[in-house]
Amino acid sequence: MNASAPALEVRNLTTTFGGGRLTAVNDVSFTVRAGEVLGLVGESGSGKSVTLRSIMRLVPASGSVSGYVYWQGRDILTMSGADLRGVRGGQISMIFQEPMTALNPVLPVFTQIEENLKAHTGLDRAGRAARARDLMDLVGIPDAARRLKEYPHQFSGGMRQRVMIAIALASNPKLLLADEPTTALDVTIQDQILKLILDLRDELSMSVVLVTHDLGVVAATCDRMAVMYAGRIVETGTVAEVFAQPNHAYTRGLLGSVPHAGTERSMLLSIEGTPPPLDRIPTGCAFNPRCEFATEPCRARVPELEEIAPARRIACFNREAVAAAGSPV
Amino acid sequence: MTDATTPLPAAESVRRTALPRPLVFGAAILAASIMVAIFPTAFAPYDPNAFDYGALLHGPSLAHPFGTDNFGRDVLSRVIHAYTIDMQIAIFATIFPFLIGTVIGALVGYAGGIAETLFGRVVDAVITFPFLVLVIAIVSVLGPGLVNMYIAVGVVGWVFYARIIAAEVKVQKRLDYADAGRAMGYTHLRIIFGHLLPNAITPAIVYWMTDMALAILLGSSLGYLGLGAQPPAAEWGVQIADGKNFMATAWWISVFPGLAIVLTGLGFSLTGDGLAELLRTKR
Repeated sequence: MNASAPALEVRNLTTTFGGGRLTAVNDVSFTVRAGEVLGLVGESGSGKSVTLRSIMRLVPASGSVSGYVYWQGRDILTMSGADLRGVRGGQISMIFQEPMTALNPVLPVFTQIEENLKAHTGLDRAGRAARARDLMDLVGIPDAARRLKEYPHQFSGGMRQRVMIAIALASNPKLLLADEPTTALDVTIQDQILKLILDLRDELSMSVVLVTHDLGVVAATCDRMAVMYAGRIVETGTVAEVFAQPNHAYTRGLLGSVPHAGTERSMLLSIEGTPPPLDRIPTGCAFNPRCEFATEPCRARVPELEEIAPARRIACFNREAVAAAGSPV
Repeated sequence: MTDATTPLPAAESVRRTALPRPLVFGAAILAASIMVAIFPTAFAPYDPNAFDYGALLHGPSLAHPFGTDNFGRDVLSRVIHAYTIDMQIAIFATIFPFLIGTVIGALVGYAGGIAETLFGRVVDAVITFPFLVLVIAIVSVLGPGLVNMYIAVGVVGWVFYARIIAAEVKVQKRLDYADAGRAMGYTHLRIIFGHLLPNAITPAIVYWMTDMALAILLGSSLGYLGLGAQPPAAEWGVQIADGKNFMATAWWISVFPGLAIVLTGLGFSLTGDGLAELLRTKR
């Protein structure tokens, strides 16, 4: 497959709640290329998860989504229900933050894997059983035949996330949407799960959108990243570019708040204040009250997301000043 | 929650052996009741409808452990044969409300919105009337008899199941696994009946057990009022009604069928309690 062709193209995605009063996702555009891992980064409440759910049309009924989500040339947002069901779980799969609650507690694991196969493949019963065993092997759960008969409560947190991934991958999706897949797990397990996702990406040549608030995860796993703040993307680029030279004050602040191994110990920096609630987003650049680089235009107008180099976009009036201040990493 | 990928064998065996005690007792009573209901002639010493004018209103004795009634019929045999009718009442008066209520409740709970509002009004309308009064009204329109009683109970009774299921499904549909199901592209019906319902149905099953006990009481009440099983059929309510004129002199005609009602009701209630305990700890 052509590695540069966008597999998923999101354009002007906007998600509002409460009849348009609250804007959770504001004019978000990005692309994901085949085989690529895109990190969607931001603090809690920055709209990362809602973006992911909007792509899959999974926002609650009180929300309304506008814009375009092109998947293989077709707009998911205007697709018929039957087509949408074919895409969901068949071509695009999603895994969730809480492997404890994302699995059905009263059904054996096999039944839950089989559900996906029933919905998206023409396999017969024997074929589904064989495929389920293969999937358990693929995600690294030993003793598949026995464990398939067990219930979610008999699995540990890391193993449940593996089960969730097995279900998501059952029908060979081309894109995996991962909503903070490791946040609820402890650090050693996190690492295993991320490695698993990367291995599977290579093995199955799928793309991944990884939502996370953990920059360490982004550095370890992603090819490109998009930083979100208050519902907007404020900076995108390859992980190497962004880490080497953040051009948005918020990205720079995030990078400064991560501890580093191997260097001399120093004080951790934090970004003053908290992200604004949805009903009180400041005028101008939403980050301006917390920004050390803020100037007059920042308080008056919303900066455009400008392309300064191919696939490198920044929404900041003072990006030269931020870039000159250097990376805290 | 990261270690112990497999439960300890000891813990598992403990869970397996520890059946709730009410369930054991309740199920034993029900199993015995069902046996008697299926094979009444194997247990009954006499024909339940055979008159014996030589033994009118005899008290409990070795020949007639529960005594005889005013036609000389053996009360024990009649109580035993009544199991057939009363266990049928327990099942048929509840299974249709259970099934209909579960389906409607699941759909309403999942859909929410206008469907839920309308359903709420129907529930209000039905529970405003006392259950027995409503059933009596319907039976007296349709005419007395068991089938009409099932219809009457079904028309009213589904509401209670639907209300329980709707409330449970409403909780379940907000959980991540329901979203996960949608994210996997499953149809709404598949999510409702394949995923949400198995999680939501426990309280309805527990209520069902209690409801069967109530159905026997209701069947007996209607039998007593002459709207359920018709004489000379052996049915506990009918028997109690038959005995009411002889209460002072021949208490056994009414008391033994009454005890049978108590025992069977206890069986259902204990089973319901035990099931509730078992299914709750399983989560």
